[in-house]
Amino acid sequence: MDRPIAYDKLAREDRFVRMRAREVAELKVSQGLPPFPDLASAESIKERVHGIMVGELQAMEGAGRSVCDFPDAPWEFTMDMARQVWDESRHVEIYLRLLDHLGGYAGEFPETTILWRCACAEDAAARVAGVNRGLEGLACDVFNQLVHIARKIGDPVLERAVDFVLADEITHVRMGSKWLTKLTEGDAERRRRAIEFQENIDERFNLGGVRREGDHDAVSISIATDVRRLAGFTEEEIERLIKTTQRSQVY
Amino acid sequence: MAQPLEGTFSAEHSARLLRNYRYVVERTMRALGGWIALTPELSAKLLMGRHVWDLAQHCDAFGRRLPELRAHAQESESANPSIATFMDAIEEPEAPDQTVERLVGVYSVLKPHLRATYREHLARANPVYEPPTRRILTRCIEDETRHIVAGGEILGHLGGTAAAKERARVHQARLDGLLAAAGGVAGDGMPSSPLTPVEPLPADLSDDAREFIRLETATGTWPVPAGLRDALSGFAAALVARDSKALSHWLAPGVAIGDVAWETLCAADYAGHKVVAFARLGHQHLVKTRLDGSAGSVVVLTRWTSAADGWRVAALDVLGRDPRPA
Repeated sequence: MDRPIAYDKLAREDRFVRMRAREVAELKVSQGLPPFPDLASAESIKERVHGIMVGELQAMEGAGRSVCDFPDAPWEFTMDMARQVWDESRHVEIYLRLLDHLGGYAGEFPETTILWRCACAEDAAARVAGVNRGLEGLACDVFNQLVHIARKIGDPVLERAVDFVLADEITHVRMGSKWLTKLTEGDAERRRRAIEFQENIDERFNLGGVRREGDHDAVSISIATDVRRLAGFTEEEIERLIKTTQRSQVY
Repeated sequence: MAQPLEGTFSAEHSARLLRNYRYVVERTMRALGGWIALTPELSAKLLMGRHVWDLAQHCDAFGRRLPELRAHAQESESANPSIATFMDAIEEPEAPDQTVERLVGVYSVLKPHLRATYREHLARANPVYEPPTRRILTRCIEDETRHIVAGGEILGHLGGTAAAKERARVHQARLDGLLAAAGGVAGDGMPSSPLTPVEPLPADLSDDAREFIRLETATGTWPVPAGLRDALSGFAAALVARDSKALSHWLAPGVAIGDVAWETLCAADYAGHKVVAFARLGHQHLVKTRLDGSAGSVVVLTRWTSAADGWRVAALDVLGRDPRPA
């Protein structure tokens, strides 16, 4: 088997339209729309849920590649990645059904592949730092806010389903922290590169100031500081993330 | 009545069998994990995604049992070089259009064999001094039974055409031959009853293949606005006819079909067209139209914008040509 694979080998059914994230954002801005769906209307919630569904799909594919690509990694690492594949596959199903619940369908919005590209990092330590800590950390922010919004609009189906997914994501962040430490033990340079990779991803997913510290109703993506603490991020890491959101480039 | 104390296996032999099982299960788990990204169909992706974790747990259980049998923990061992060749053949189909081959290898060949092998092992493992191994085998048999049923459902869904059935038959025959030549996963010969019928099980353990198929096929019709529907139809008919004058009517000012795209479009004759994707991008729509003909198909992606004189193409891209008939 090819290990690892080129990122453009990601296979999709015809019903999905793949586009660069930057192009999607630019085309929306050119129509006078925000580059990233907020949670202010039923339509924007549906678009956000579609984006999450696609993210879960890529997370499943990425974790699957980690099971495949690193046969020489510690066995417990493979076990954690295999468990994550199972979790993500259930998340895909949950979000497909939530999309249906919200009156949408798979393929209703274009798919961007930033998450998948991050999951193609060649080093296992970079992959867990970038995906499990960077992207799953973002998922903690997004899902925590979505649970809040669902409660506010009186949608118990959305609230309960996302609440359980959030619990899994916290576990995935913990896995990421554990393996970032274990895989880079005695190799400060490898750890530095992995953390740098994660910080690049964090910066990218600040989405030009879309992700910020603030009230769920006031900002498009609210940093879930309590959930991040629960997931094992240190105060210093949370503080650093908040600071980077204040200096992010406009998308 | 007391259980017999006579046993078929030594501890050493039992450990060797577990290492042999672990070898094929570990390779299968890693292959399934890797294939998820390479497989286009959602139903097959979800099927593999569900089963990677079960197989990891099987490997782990075999691997944890090993030290209890005076062997090293978490070690895999190929029974012989031929079983490694068989696993190479299982892993071979990696192209996006080989989902049927991937599923046949795992769900029609390997898993039924594993299930039969585990059952035979269970029947021969002494119930007085091998309960730890027996418990592991019992769990694996249960999981493999569920997997075979789910895999069969997905294969029936994805491999229903005559051409797919023939590809599946050829691939299965090749793999069956390799497996038999290896003497099965443990190299001791094939189990006596590998073709025991597998009864469907209640689908409450999160791998309900029928639900995966429903999720894949849920979108029956696209919510295309009436005005755009006519435009899509007229544009697609012009594409099929390669009528550049009619096509230009649908293009927004400043938009042209590039030379490479035009060459790709003209590389074959097409008889029909079908919308295969319909997405929204703000107030605009992204549409994939597949043109089909006896010499294959081509997919054209267009971005439509509403103008004063109706819907027009703001961007066009030919995504590629598939030389096989749809």
